[in-house]
Amino acid sequence: MTLKTRWYENDSRFIPGHYQPASLIDLALSRDIDSHRLLRGTGLFHEDILAGQTRLSPQQFLGLIGNSRRLLDADDSSFLFGQRLLPGHYGAASHALRHAQNLHQALDTLVQQQALLSPLASPRLLLDDRHAYFYWLDSCGAGEQWRFLLEASMTSLVAMSQWLSGQRLPWECCFSHAEPRYVEQYWVHLGEHTQFKRPMDLMRIPREFLTQAWPNASATAGQVARQEALGQLEQLGFASSFLDCVYRYLQGQVRQAPSLEQTAQAFGMSPATLKRKLHKHGSGFQQQADLVRKHVALYLYRIKGLSNEEVAEYLSFNDAANFRRSFKRWTGSTPKLIRQLFSAG
Amino acid sequence: MFSVLKPHRWKLATLLLAANLGLLLHLACGELKAVSEWVWLDIVGEGGTALLALIWLGLVLKSRPAGRVTNYLALGLSCIFFSWWIDSLDEFIRLPDSITWDHWLESGPMPVGMVLLTIGIYHWHREQLAISAQMEKRERLFREHRLFDKLTPLGGADYLKRQLADSLLDSQRQQQPLSLLALDLDNFAAINQDFGHAEGDAVLQALSHLLLLNLRRQDLLCRLAGDRFVVLLPNTGESQARLLAQELRQAVQSLAHKSRQHGERLQLSACTAVVMALDETPEVLLKRLNLALARAKQPLAKSA
Repeated sequence: MTLKTRWYENDSRFIPGHYQPASLIDLALSRDIDSHRLLRGTGLFHEDILAGQTRLSPQQFLGLIGNSRRLLDADDSSFLFGQRLLPGHYGAASHALRHAQNLHQALDTLVQQQALLSPLASPRLLLDDRHAYFYWLDSCGAGEQWRFLLEASMTSLVAMSQWLSGQRLPWECCFSHAEPRYVEQYWVHLGEHTQFKRPMDLMRIPREFLTQAWPNASATAGQVARQEALGQLEQLGFASSFLDCVYRYLQGQVRQAPSLEQTAQAFGMSPATLKRKLHKHGSGFQQQADLVRKHVALYLYRIKGLSNEEVAEYLSFNDAANFRRSFKRWTGSTPKLIRQLFSAG
Repeated sequence: MFSVLKPHRWKLATLLLAANLGLLLHLACGELKAVSEWVWLDIVGEGGTALLALIWLGLVLKSRPAGRVTNYLALGLSCIFFSWWIDSLDEFIRLPDSITWDHWLESGPMPVGMVLLTIGIYHWHREQLAISAQMEKRERLFREHRLFDKLTPLGGADYLKRQLADSLLDSQRQQQPLSLLALDLDNFAAINQDFGHAEGDAVLQALSHLLLLNLRRQDLLCRLAGDRFVVLLPNTGESQARLLAQELRQAVQSLAHKSRQHGERLQLSACTAVVMALDETPEVLLKRLNLALARAKQPLAKSA
């Protein structure tokens, strides 16, 4: 029996060159950038991409993003790239998006078909009784390109939902970084109410917009396309990245706070291998565990409305002081301040 | 690179020939110095300046369209290079004392080159004034090419912020009102979606020209981001700014832009907002302008 890997890593070559990378290449070419300079150091050739033969690894795609950013040298590159990303021309998965009945179905498709639609940033959807929250996780260790990916991903969702719904939807975007020099790009592409220095990078929208029917969608075509896209994922042999799988495992076990050894065992590898793989993706075990616990804590505060003590207890902290310290480490802020931020927002 | 130098190939060939003839003449009449006699400081100093003159010549030819002014500059720099080149040759080749023409070769072209270069720079200055007049409404007093927008022939957001800071100070000093106008295309995303992003870019370029035509001499037009333009209106109160905004909206509406591919007419419309500067920083003012524009764009979404 051959053991198939159930995830992709940053050197798995599976992203077709004529999918997302092509959008970036077209953007660069439209600004008169030489294709050789654009692809320098990525090991890619424009002719091969045009022939539809090339598969990129996440690492190569990130290299291409780095080159484009440097050569385009403009503050709007990520936003223009984002505008071209969704629903995109990525086969059945794009058809499924194109024929989504409403925003909810589109978001579900985006989460489910992440490997095809957004291989570098993996989206997550959360609901409470008033809002839908959508956020992205760094699925391949994007490092310094993460901000670019985040801007592009949020723009892609805003642009796609505006196009398919036929109206401007009241998305609100929050970023954890400070207000950048080029804040006007955020205003124009993401909305004037974009906020900075928030505990998490996420976007939210009132729940009633999730179920409003979208015009021009064919239920049958959408159904078939979703089936087909699932078949494609089956063929690829994975639906999410290694980092995502670790995140999901830690999230499922968050109350037990599994150790490195336990996690390695669950993944059927030695602790050294797990460490090496995490390191390859620019992360570490503690970093991933902290990220998961930060997200869970924020979820419990915001969506479940739990108190400090309850959150500390849920995450198996013995005393409140210890929890406050850890929380400060995860978010750079105390639980109290975070609660104030939420009540203000 | 070579296509840029092509119109100048005769000039460059003549320069190469002259430099070689000078070298041959020196070799024919003189004798080579031994390496021990070389004075490295002089070689680096004189040879280096000759090399720099050559680099200047290359940059001038590469960065300027061919023409009268370019010819003056190129000829001047060529003479200067030649003179420094001959100067550096005598570091390697000793000429007998009976020969005097080398002084002529060395010092003769230099004053000629200097005069030609001066004439060139003077005309360059005249040319720059003419270009600055053409840049009216897109540039005010200050130039920084790194702040140019990459798509339209306008300044970008950073250029606007810089100009805004200066204009705010001026308006406070002179007790004159200063207004800002923002203009944003309606449904620009749909144009990109239906006609492609290249067509969207073309619309923005056409729009920047149209808006320039409809502004006064002292106004400054910049592209803030995407399809949003901002006009800086010095000595302008809010009511006058509103009037200008209305004129710009009408101009956009009557622009009969044709798509590149099939020549269809694109129906354009825009929405505008106007704010008058209060005692505030450029960042706060811009933020207020954009919030006003967001309000003008309401209703955001038809509720269910």
